[in-house]
Amino acid sequence: MNLLGLDTATAASAVCLLRADGRAFEVVPQVSALSARPAHASDLMPAVALVLEQAALRFGDLDALAVGVGPGAFTGLRIGIATARAIAAAQSLPVRPVSSLAALAAGAETELTLAVIDARRGQAFAALHRGAEEVWPPFVADPATLAERIRTASGTPDAVGDGAVRFRDVLEAAGARVAPEHSPLHVIRALHICRLGRSAPVAAPAAVIPEYLRLPDVTAQSPVAHP
Amino acid sequence: MILALETSCDDTCAAVISPGGEIRSNVVASQGLLHERYGGVVPEIASRRHLEVVDAVTSDALERAAVSLDDVDRVAVTQGPGLIGALLVGLSSAKALAAARGLPLVPVDHLHGHVVASTLEPDPIERPYGCLVASGGHTFLARVEEPSSYRVLGQTLDDAAGEAFDKGARLLGLGYPGGPAIDRFARDGDPEAFRFPRSLPGEGLDLSFSGLKTSLLYRLRDLGEEEVAARRADLAASYQRAIVDALAARIEQAIAEERLERLAIGGGVAANSELRRVLGERCRRSGVGLWAPPLALCTDNAAMIAAAARHLVPLPYPEYLALDAAARLGPEATRAAA
Ligand SMILES: [Zn+2]
Repeated sequence: MNLLGLDTATAASAVCLLRADGRAFEVVPQVSALSARPAHASDLMPAVALVLEQAALRFGDLDALAVGVGPGAFTGLRIGIATARAIAAAQSLPVRPVSSLAALAAGAETELTLAVIDARRGQAFAALHRGAEEVWPPFVADPATLAERIRTASGTPDAVGDGAVRFRDVLEAAGARVAPEHSPLHVIRALHICRLGRSAPVAAPAAVIPEYLRLPDVTAQSPVAHP
Repeated sequence: MILALETSCDDTCAAVISPGGEIRSNVVASQGLLHERYGGVVPEIASRRHLEVVDAVTSDALERAAVSLDDVDRVAVTQGPGLIGALLVGLSSAKALAAARGLPLVPVDHLHGHVVASTLEPDPIERPYGCLVASGGHTFLARVEEPSSYRVLGQTLDDAAGEAFDKGARLLGLGYPGGPAIDRFARDGDPEAFRFPRSLPGEGLDLSFSGLKTSLLYRLRDLGEEEVAARRADLAASYQRAIVDALAARIEQAIAEERLERLAIGGGVAANSELRRVLGERCRRSGVGLWAPPLALCTDNAAMIAAAARHLVPLPYPEYLALDAAARLGPEATRAAA
């Protein structure tokens, strides 16, 4: 199965093509991309075209898509999901949604992994994984609440992700280990989206939507006029 | 066939038109009710909804046109202006769809779409022509010489006409969106009952509507609650008359200065019955042809985006892969002629 995987939950665009022969062609984002201005609209599709070219495949050779559905930055997630769904629609392919936090945790290869994505506004999206098992499903919390939960965890989790870097002090004080700031472990790799996607169930395209975990903020932004 | 997507604000739109400009389908999934209780469009709610329905709306447009993707030879999409998060859903979808089929893509200026909506079949307007685009986000007069571009003759310096309707309706307690509400109430009112200012700043063709709502606000204070309740229809009719008069005055001026023989109107405000009546009368008197397309082509829609794309140079695959949305996109950004 030729599987194309995307993730846009953080500011970094991640793309991987897992070819049927098992070879992976991947665009691995730089760690610095996590703190840069998101540029999914300009980065994502060129990366898709690049991995296809490297793998000497065309869109018509794809068998399925896997896409990170977050939680993460809303606009970024929508770009990744709209892209995956449109490619799937154009080629009549199945789409397999994958948790971006699970993909982040899978890259850490530690026993007990706390995947943390910066949720902005002083909050974090987080999930706890023991190997492939999801101990805590994704949730959104402020750092103090997250720290409290870490203290109840059985074991010392290794925390990864842009949220782990952002809230390092709080997480370390609560007993978690956080990889050094420039460790590539903080980046979500689309290779892991692909690997998890291989066994993930296929979802109806319309059901592939971001895991928002937060209601739209209506008070912070005043409504705009209707055109 | 041209397949077009438009998601610049709160309507998810897809359309299929033929190279000759016949509308094969024009699908709009409106979010009006979702935003009603906020009195305006909430960008995050709009963006979420776009993503939920964009694929369904696209396949619906193909189905109603009785074509498949095999029949599509270019994809058009609104690049801006609009809500950036909303634009990005349509743009991402269109780019990926075009790329996966190896099709060329045409990024379109939303305002260009409004300007050329009247060039579609069955009654396409001939060039050159003048056009009023009036909506909640934009109000301007344009001249169209070539279908690939337009020249702005004048525009509002502050609020858009639709915004003036919305704000007026809110002050009058008539609900949202304001245009249709005021239009409805005004039918039973006397448009001469109250005098509101027609602000026509400068010698040129610019407009201004921000003073109007202030004037209404003061008038409502002076009248007091009971009187306002009793004369709501008169207030709505007079307020509407002021907006329509200002627009009509500038249009007449533009027709004279530019020696226009044809006029098109577009944007949500073009649905206003008083505006249609007044312009119809004046155009008839002066022998100017008036193109007031059906409502579905005035409010946001993808057929107009496809209409603009007919006359623009498409970007071949893979030139458009890095294309980004633009919250602000002006006439100067309109792409060169085909
Ligand atoms: Zn519009």
